[in-house]
Amino acid sequence: MITAKKFQHTYNYGFIDETTKKEIRRKLLKAVAIPGYQVPYSSPEMPIARGWGTGGLHASLSLIGPDDVFKIIDQGSDASVNACNLRDFVKRMTGCKTTFDTGEATLIQTRHRKPEEILTERQIIVFQVPQPEPLRSVERYEFKTRQMHAEADYAKMWVSLYESYVKFGAIMQGAGYPVRVNGRYIMTPSPIPRWDVPNLSMAPCLHVFSAGREKRLHCVPPWTKVEPLEFEDVKFCVEEFRDIVCAASGGDRAFMDEIYESETSRKYVMNDSSFLDKVRAGTRPPQRLFTNPPSAPTAS
Amino acid sequence: MNDTDTGWLLRVRNLTKIYGDPISNSVQYTGPKFGSNICPETDAIVACAEINFDLYPGEVLGVVGESGSGKSTLVQLLYFDQMATAGEVQFSALDGGQTNILTLSNQRKRHMRNHLMGMVYQNPRDGLNFGFSAGGNIAEKLLMAGNFHVGRIRERASYLLEKTEVPVKRMDNTPATFSGGMQQRVQISKAIANNPPLLFLDEVTSGLDVSVQAKVLDLIRHLQRELGISMIVVSHDLAVIRMLTDRTMVLKNGRIVEAGLTDQILQDPQDAYTQLLVSSLL
Amino acid sequence: MPKILEVKNVSKHFHLHIQNNKRIAALDDVSFEMEQGEILGLTGKSGSGKSSLMKCIYRTYLVNSGEIVLTTASRGPVDLAKASEHEVIEMRKTEMFYCSQFLSVIPRVPAVEIVAEPLARKGKTADEAREMARDLLDRLGLPRELWDAFPATFSGGEQQRVNIARAIIAAPRFLLVDEPTASLDLKTKNVVIDLVLALKTQGASVVLITHDQHTLERMSDRRLHLEHGRVSEMATV
Repeated sequence: MITAKKFQHTYNYGFIDETTKKEIRRKLLKAVAIPGYQVPYSSPEMPIARGWGTGGLHASLSLIGPDDVFKIIDQGSDASVNACNLRDFVKRMTGCKTTFDTGEATLIQTRHRKPEEILTERQIIVFQVPQPEPLRSVERYEFKTRQMHAEADYAKMWVSLYESYVKFGAIMQGAGYPVRVNGRYIMTPSPIPRWDVPNLSMAPCLHVFSAGREKRLHCVPPWTKVEPLEFEDVKFCVEEFRDIVCAASGGDRAFMDEIYESETSRKYVMNDSSFLDKVRAGTRPPQRLFTNPPSAPTAS
Repeated sequence: MNDTDTGWLLRVRNLTKIYGDPISNSVQYTGPKFGSNICPETDAIVACAEINFDLYPGEVLGVVGESGSGKSTLVQLLYFDQMATAGEVQFSALDGGQTNILTLSNQRKRHMRNHLMGMVYQNPRDGLNFGFSAGGNIAEKLLMAGNFHVGRIRERASYLLEKTEVPVKRMDNTPATFSGGMQQRVQISKAIANNPPLLFLDEVTSGLDVSVQAKVLDLIRHLQRELGISMIVVSHDLAVIRMLTDRTMVLKNGRIVEAGLTDQILQDPQDAYTQLLVSSLL
Repeated sequence: MPKILEVKNVSKHFHLHIQNNKRIAALDDVSFEMEQGEILGLTGKSGSGKSSLMKCIYRTYLVNSGEIVLTTASRGPVDLAKASEHEVIEMRKTEMFYCSQFLSVIPRVPAVEIVAEPLARKGKTADEAREMARDLLDRLGLPRELWDAFPATFSGGEQQRVNIARAIIAAPRFLLVDEPTASLDLKTKNVVIDLVLALKTQGASVVLITHDQHTLERMSDRRLHLEHGRVSEMATV
């Protein structure tokens, strides 16, 4: 039985050691300074496997302090298994207050959604990113994609959007729609639905995107222009949810989950659980809603 | 060739490409007199050196030579597929010809490739992306020239495909499903998509069946007459040179051994090597 | 009349490197002058250097020494022997036209298009040019069904008609013709002669090679006789 004190392990505040936190913070500053640019960072080992949110944890634990109020959601839900486990881990490592209420949180870690409620200048949102390279689907070599970003040579990306339109009559990208940040770099906003993409542009909060497996950080700073890629005659549009009402709250104009009730019927429920709670309580917070452009006829 | 002449489109002086470690004498100890491109001291390969010529608007210049003559290297250097070791190249459509285009930044070189030059390779896979449709390949050039309207892109692509006699209803198929001759024609439409003043053609019909070759060459000649594009045509086949070009340069071991009007090169060749080539016409 | 062409001390030989460095002399110190509006006939036996002289003027052959000064409309006197390739190309488009002995067949182009082509540079529309080409081919007696056919399959006489038509259709200012009537019947010969004489009234100057006495007598103002590459006689006809 090991009783000697020197063999007892204690964890550093926030689990990650201070040198690594310093490195991640410096890289974050660089990412904020160059909106949309992917900054490589040394991604430390975590007690969960890569691909399960290590990147998000790296960013969150480097940014978090004892006064922070931490919220973590997984596809909009605070109550999913992964969200709960990560929340417990962060709480143990930092002793912070945690919350389900979007408005109360100072630091939000999310997988694949941005909350409906408008975030303020006091809030930072950390997105978990599986594949940070938006050009990966058209170019498999890393050295080439780096060169393409450096020279702003995005021809292949544009052609793939053109091909998608030609083949399917629309640009088929559903989640993770490629965007142009600050007029320069093309970035993936992580696999958030189209519904959330317009919300990234000119927002008061800081968005941090972190890919632990690929070891990349990128940011959209506050009040930065984020434009989804579109053609003059084939414009970006969000999901419509026409004539659909949330079965739990009766509300509409939010991103909905489709839930199968039996073999033949389905219902829709608002995806963002904190938002849903507030709508049910009658305190629906303001959102930024995007109006789809009128569809323009194009020559085919 | 007078350095005070004006009105040229492309001016090339001392264009040189050496692979390996060049010492100052590599150029001196290689060339047609030595019958070799390889420097005897350092094994550096002088692919081409001391290339000087002017090209005027609307002219078609042929570059003929056998393997190892440096003819393909020459156009690769001008199209920025390779980096030159030395030389000055001026292009009147850019900056009135005041800049040495070999020293431009990558971004400006790419701008030139998109707007001012077109290239058709011997192998369609070098010039086309087989992962995209034929229309998509043409769209790539149009998009990079700043056209972001899908309807207009498709209109222009259809127009170009029609002009090069590729069936427009195959615009959305990938070139992998096309015959060799049709692939070349898609390459040609892509190359002329932005109406560049200069077009490079690198052995574009070598390897095609003769009837297909004839069709492609006829198309090129027809386009040249109609659009007035300047062209540099690289070929090992003098019959192609005779059909397409006004002037010709003969290359051997990376140097120009003779240059002149095409009919003069074919009927009154001065240099021994040129005479050998001409007499080898089948 | 002002001079159109001055040939001064032109010498040419062929050096065949791949045939044991054989040297073949073609022209030896040839000098003569032509006035504007003149038709000069070159005569001499086969191999006396007539075609070679014409090709030297057209720059298909490079001379070894001497000057060939053509007075052009666009750029004054130009020494063709020393002009750059670019200059010669320009001149061949507008100033100097050549009708060779045999039609250099441009493959897979119909006769009408071959004849219409020089008019494109004079600013005619494609339809106008073709109309004029058809007209000229008709006058030269080329059967109508051949107008849209490829000349590669024509007989010698038919090819020559296309050749001549192409050379004269754009009313050239300076014309070199090598045996224009060789394969033609008498009627067509006279048509050709009339057409060229008509050009002369418009101020064209012509250098003519022919062995046909009738053509020589009807067309040329002066004759230049060559023997073994040298000028042996210069006479008015």
